[in-house]
Amino acid sequence: MKKATDRDKLEAFQQYDAWVFDLDGTLWKGSTLIPGAKEFIELLRYYNKKVFFVTNNATKSRATNAAKLTAMGINATQAEMYTSSFAAAAYLKAISFNKKAYVIGEEGLVEELTAVGVQCVGGPAHRGVEVDWSQAEPHVEVDPEVGAVVVGLDRYISYYKLQYATLCLANNDSCMFLACNTDARGHFSQAQEWAGAGTMVAALIGSSEREPMLLGKPASFILDHLCATHQVARDKTIVVGDRLDTDILWGIQNGAGTCCVLSGVTSEAQLLAESNKVHPKLYMSDIGDFLTIKNQIPSNCAIM
Amino acid sequence: MVAAQASARPIATNEQKLELLKKVECFIFDCDGVIWLGDKVIEGVPETLDMLRGMGKKVFFVTNNSTKSRAGYMSKFQSLGLNVKAEEIYSSSYAAAAYLESINFNKKVYVIGETGILEELDLKGIRHVGGPGDADKKVTLKSGEFMEHDHDVGAVVVGFDRYVNYYKIQYATLCIRENPGCMFIATNRDAVTHLTDAQEWAGNGSMVGAIVGSTKREPIVVGKPSDFMLKNISASLGLRPDQIAMVGDRLDTDIMFGKNGGLATALVLSGVTTPEVLNSPDNKVHPDFVLNSLPDLLSVKEKAMVAA
Repeated sequence: MKKATDRDKLEAFQQYDAWVFDLDGTLWKGSTLIPGAKEFIELLRYYNKKVFFVTNNATKSRATNAAKLTAMGINATQAEMYTSSFAAAAYLKAISFNKKAYVIGEEGLVEELTAVGVQCVGGPAHRGVEVDWSQAEPHVEVDPEVGAVVVGLDRYISYYKLQYATLCLANNDSCMFLACNTDARGHFSQAQEWAGAGTMVAALIGSSEREPMLLGKPASFILDHLCATHQVARDKTIVVGDRLDTDILWGIQNGAGTCCVLSGVTSEAQLLAESNKVHPKLYMSDIGDFLTIKNQIPSNCAIM
Repeated sequence: MVAAQASARPIATNEQKLELLKKVECFIFDCDGVIWLGDKVIEGVPETLDMLRGMGKKVFFVTNNSTKSRAGYMSKFQSLGLNVKAEEIYSSSYAAAAYLESINFNKKVYVIGETGILEELDLKGIRHVGGPGDADKKVTLKSGEFMEHDHDVGAVVVGFDRYVNYYKIQYATLCIRENPGCMFIATNRDAVTHLTDAQEWAGNGSMVGAIVGSTKREPIVVGKPSDFMLKNISASLGLRPDQIAMVGDRLDTDIMFGKNGGLATALVLSGVTTPEVLNSPDNKVHPDFVLNSLPDLLSVKEKAMVAA
């Protein structure tokens, strides 16, 4: 495998009508846009390609992420934005879920669930709540109407929340266990990687001995929803991202094209290592590299 | 060695009890369902322990709970009227310190856990950071936030921690990922722990799970059902595995644990396992001996004391 040539890039540009971008490490790093990202997205839109943004981070809602991206210079609407929190909410809506959800997660997750009419217990409201160990018989009461435990990144994780969720999963009839995402780490501040949602999900697997249903990348839900809602064909869709085990694997497992950028967590050495079995269709240093073909796009490039 | 029987496993006869007492020099007891039930000692147990000690047998009481040190557990035993020495209690907090000692560990330990682990590390002269001191630390994640961590940490020990938080998880993750050769040690991985009678409580399986989730590494487990504890006991006493008996009330943990370690195994029916479960065709775990309860051994007391 070698870095994408202009020919590779041109082929991809013409083949794919729907471009699905990861955010962190692909379009931005912390609060700075990757150079060339804005220009390439504008090029795609000029040729009437559909553009989507997908992040596994469940802490901010679609609206908040879209506003952030727009403020940074890349126009984005809520409808083009997918978060793993939105995926969990969309799933519950799709199955006509009508019970309550116990949330291990932050504001964005509660916002998305509430927006589809799911009543939430826990989340930020349980921040700082502790078990009272001074009592003679300490115990945690749970709401019997909780029918799903939904887990995303929660930087206020506590034993109380883990115990509450474990009891729901063990005792509430048919209680579902949904994971927004299972990323081990993320760049929540520019300076360093931080423990991700995978931490909270694995903690709950450890106490409940149950496996969750995954909604975020690399599960198929978001791509299925995106293709169905926006009427795009799977084989005309390409995923662009920096993580092999989420972005690239996601595209491969779901019949979409894949482009790996080296501007985030994956280095060229890791990508080309013998042990790596996840091979994107093309790869490049960063999204700005696509701009080398800007003046080579044939005039008959289909504008849909 | 008693021949394994494929069908119903009868309660041990007096001959079998004498055989057990003759060949076994050290008895390892699970506590709940064997020594006590909830907050009450099972009747006849103190006498039985005296008999065993009188015969020169060594006894150990095993618990996977890491929150107290061995000395800390003494008060529980004493309050129940049981005469024990701290060295006879094998807690998973002690197991963690014993493991580090056995590999001549000389760096620092980052602890996710309660005071028991810290006390046992202190007793072995092992330096540590973290533990209850990090219970109130918060992470705010302003842009550019950077968490410092001690580069001299050579092992992260994770035990049951009712004050687990994101700060501790992140600190442990940094140590494991960035300090070359840093070990990841778990006292145990039990999904549930019995803190009160009325409710089951999320166990150390969740604290350990959190660190597995962020590092994608599996830990070295020092408590049940890993064999470190058994190897540590047999090495310190200079005994062969078949000279040691594991006595417990659970087939899938205690008895399986003993069999995997090559120990003699005795199931007591005074805890969670019923004769129906034991004798069911679905059960594939066959203990060497079965007792209604530990004090069954008292029925051969005179003969045993004479033979000893």
